[in-house]
This record gives sequence, C-alpha cells and structure tokens, in this order.
Amino acid sequence: MIRTQQLTKHYGKTKALEDLNLHIEKGQVFGFIGPNGAGKSTTMMILSCLLLPTSGTAYVGGYNVLTHPEEVRQLVGYMPDFFGVYDNLKTTEYLDFYAGAYFIPKSKRPGLIADLLELVNLSNKKDAYVDSLSRGMKQRLGLARCLIHNPEVLILDEPASGLDPRARIELREILKELKRMKKTIMISSHILPELAEICDQIGVIEKGRMLACGSVEEMALRVKGIHVLLVRVLKERERAARILEEHPQVKQVDDQRDHLRVMFTGSKADQAALLKYLLAEEVPVVDFSADKENLEDVFLAITERMGS
Amino acid sequence: MSWLERLRRFKGNPVHGKEFRERFRLRRTVWIMTIYLTVIGAVMLGFMYLELMDQSVFVPGEYRDFFIIFSGLQLVMIGFLAPGLSAGAISGERERQTLSILLTTQLSPLSIIGSKLISSLAFIGFLVWMSLPLYSFVFLFGGISPQEVATVFLFFVINIFFFGSLGLFCSTWMKRTGVSTVTAYAVTFLIVAGTGILIYFWAHFAAQLDWDLDHMLSFQLFVSLNPVYAFLTIFEDQLRNETMLKIDPWLIYACFYTAVSLLLIFGSAYLLNPLRRSRRKNDIIKN
Repeated sequence: MIRTQQLTKHYGKTKALEDLNLHIEKGQVFGFIGPNGAGKSTTMMILSCLLLPTSGTAYVGGYNVLTHPEEVRQLVGYMPDFFGVYDNLKTTEYLDFYAGAYFIPKSKRPGLIADLLELVNLSNKKDAYVDSLSRGMKQRLGLARCLIHNPEVLILDEPASGLDPRARIELREILKELKRMKKTIMISSHILPELAEICDQIGVIEKGRMLACGSVEEMALRVKGIHVLLVRVLKERERAARILEEHPQVKQVDDQRDHLRVMFTGSKADQAALLKYLLAEEVPVVDFSADKENLEDVFLAITERMGS
Repeated sequence: MSWLERLRRFKGNPVHGKEFRERFRLRRTVWIMTIYLTVIGAVMLGFMYLELMDQSVFVPGEYRDFFIIFSGLQLVMIGFLAPGLSAGAISGERERQTLSILLTTQLSPLSIIGSKLISSLAFIGFLVWMSLPLYSFVFLFGGISPQEVATVFLFFVINIFFFGSLGLFCSTWMKRTGVSTVTAYAVTFLIVAGTGILIYFWAHFAAQLDWDLDHMLSFQLFVSLNPVYAFLTIFEDQLRNETMLKIDPWLIYACFYTAVSLLLIFGSAYLLNPLRRSRRKNDIIKN
C-alpha cells in the first residue's frame, strides 16, 4: 500500500532523509520510531503530497505521490503532529467543511458526520464550538477529520503527543478499532510502548536512515536475542525473582513492584519450559506473558549499536 | 477533469461558506461595519453641512462634487481595507496550523486561493453595498449621470479585486500575517502615493526641458496607472480631453490592474502548491 524507493530529502546541507526504502502492506499498522529530527515527519509529509523529495520515489496505493497527488490525497488521511482548528466553527460544521473539501455530497454528510463523531466518542459534543474542546478531544476530532473521506491509508504523526494518560488510552482504543476496520496505518510516536500494542511492524529511523524494520518481537531478537517477559506471582515475589535469576536463559530480572520483568534469551518453546520450571518450583504464577512494552529497549539498543 | 467538473467543484467549494460563517461570528466584523459607515457617513454629511449652510438657493446639478468626494472616500476605504482583509487569508491558515491539512484535501491551490479571494472581496463588496443608503443623500442633489454611477462602481470592483489580490499574494508569499499586511500596505502606498510623486517629478523635469507631456505616450500611460488620476478622469471631461490616448485613462487603469490581479492570483496558486515542479504522467505501479 505504501512504498518508497531511495527516498531522499535534503534541506540545504542537512540530510533529513537518506535512501529510505519502505514497504507497508495493505491493512498493516506501521510504527515509526525515532528521535526528533530523525526524518519521520519528513517521510509522512512526502507521502501526504505536502513536500517534494530531493530524489527517490514514493507510492501510495500504487500512485506516485508526485505525479498523481489527487489520487493519493483521496487515499490518504493525514494528521500532522501539530495542527490547529477553526475556532469559530462547531464540531459538526468543522467536519462538514472537510467533507465539502473532499466533494462529498451534502445529502450524505449528516449521517457520515454522526457516525464519525460516534467513532471518536464525541457525539455529545456535536454542537460544541471546536475552541471549547480539550486537547484530547481536538485530537480525536482531528482523527475524525482524517476519516471523513474514508481513506484507505492513515498517516498519523505523533497523534498522542501532549495528551494525558486517559486521552492516550482513548486514542489507542480508536486506533485499535481502525485496525479492525483494515485501515493501513502509519503512525509515529515518542511514547514507544504505545505503538507496541497496535503495531504489526515498526521501523526505527535516525538521522534520516532506517536502522531497522520488522515486527516488535523480531526486532528484539535481532538486536539482542532477548524477549522481555512479564511474570506476576500471587506471593513470594523475591523467591520467584531468585529462581528466575538462576535460570541459564535469563539475563536479567527487574522487580517492578507488581510484576517481574524478565530478559529472556530463548525461543517460544523455551518460554514454555521456563513457565513449567517455575510451576515445578511451586511459584504461584498468575500471569506469564511477553511484554510488548519493550520498544524503548529495542530503540535504544538499535541506536546505541549504530552510534558505536 | 473537464472544465464543467472544475466549475461544479468550485461552486461547491466549502471555503466561502466557512469563511463567511467565521467572519460573521466575530465581534470585530460588526465593529468594522459600524466604523466604516460612521466614518464615511460622518465625513460626507459634515461636508454637505458645511457646503450648504451658507447657501440660500438650491441649484440641482451644481453639487456633483458631493458624489465625487463621497466616491473618493469609498475608494480610500477600499484601498485601506482590501489589502488588510486579504493579507491574512493564507498566512492566517499557516499560523493556525490548518494550511497543511487544507492542502491534503481535494481542493486545488487555485481553488483555495480563488475562494479565499472571493470571501475577502465579498465582505468589502458588502461594505460598499451597505453604504448605498448614504448615496441616496448625494443623489438628492443630482448632477450625476447613471453612466457615471455605473462607471464608478465598476472602478470600485476593479480596485477591490486588485488590492484584494495584492493582499492575498503577500499572504501566500510571506509566512507571517503581520509582515504580509505591512508589505501589502507598503505596495498600496507605492501605487497611490509613489506613482503620484513620480508623476510630479516627471512633470517638473519635463517642464524644465520643454517636453510636451500631452504628446508623450509613456507619460500618458504612466499617469493612467495612478488610481487618483484614473478616478478623476471618470468625472472630468477636461482631463480626458487633455490626453492623446484614444481610450479613457480609467479604462487603461482597469485593464492593467485586472491583468496584474490575474497574475497575482495565479502566482499565489503557484506559490501555494507544495508540489510545484514539472510532473511526469503515467507513473502508476501495481500495488
């Protein structure tokens, strides 16, 4: 659905993007990770027909973003990292304006807007002025705006930045719903664990270069050969930690108060064997799962390795 | 896409509706309307009072100056408001961080520019239309032909179009509304006062060198580009007869500034397009 070939963007002497090759399948959720200035927003802007690349090509839905921008714009819903709203409009008027900007017939708009407001949990704010909405609500309204023309691809640049934890959770739930709707989503975030739950693939980018790309698990294994496991026990947490530390495939155990975070070097079969071992040692295990919230480790490991 | 389809899309362009809705919800808009009518009405009525207080006899047809002064005042207000109202149209979107989103929609840069211009100009047109009741005072005194009235209003439309396009171009070119507004006013000042000063120096220089300016085409054309001169030639037959040009100076003014306005509009659309570079067609790959 999204493909870039040797995509490069230079701002004067600064290399914002260098030979980026990317391939995202239809219906996939792709997480883009990288520090500020890594080239995430530049890539997203090129894919949204807002920026000319210095060289290379980018395709969305098979259309070249440079030669067929109208077709690409119809396929893409773009939400920038910072965006404003029209203060003197009500939420329904705001969405109606963008529906008009995609030439959606007037007769279809009321039903469509009502559905979108329901999707983003803003039905109770349909008559509220956009200005009066909280940041989280504005972000959700922005997401509804992205969906107004039913795009196949969503490009979301740091959609959760500046949101409080509750708003982040609400946003994540909406994104999960969109994933269920088979939308192809490209999302960037600084809050790395946020991506883990919803992403099929992640790409780590730094200084304009893609350092690594793959599923979260693959990336963890590729970099360190380590899986991060979450182990919750009913009682005797310290004894459980000691037993785990003695296991040859366990590299490290961190006590996180309500659970143990275990760095484990082994396959899925080895994980099953570890659980069996804990139960044999009569450890009262109530939860044993792979922790998807290890993106920070993955990211740090990849960028550290590149740095060294 | 066919021209008919383009026209249909332009007609259905949502920017006008949004702009009108936003503008008329602002308290500032009511103040602009109030101040516009108050200033223009107070000056006109005050002038009438001073002119008529010593007159014991009323002679219809001798008071065409009222109409000229009133129309001149309208022209000044247009020159003052049109660049200011359009100078924030695009830079304002940029400052509000809504421009990038607008550019990802199906609205083309030209349709965005066109609808922004229409909504800015419609408001100024609305102000002129609002002042029509004040014209009724002037019409009471007579002395003006319907043709002159129609010409003056056409002259207003051309000026609104030009100064609006100028403001819009500055707004697209400059990043900040403050800078674009100052630039638009500076160019307006250059066109009104700058050309006037140049004409003054040119005339004095020519007088010293015994040049016959009445038969110098370049001078005649240049003078016609000054809005004040072009405006006065609508009313003054003598000014029209002095020139060697075959067409009225105000018509030269109208044609020149209409052409410049169109250039400014297309230039704005070009600057607004984020993908402004030559396009190669037939570049689709299988997904």
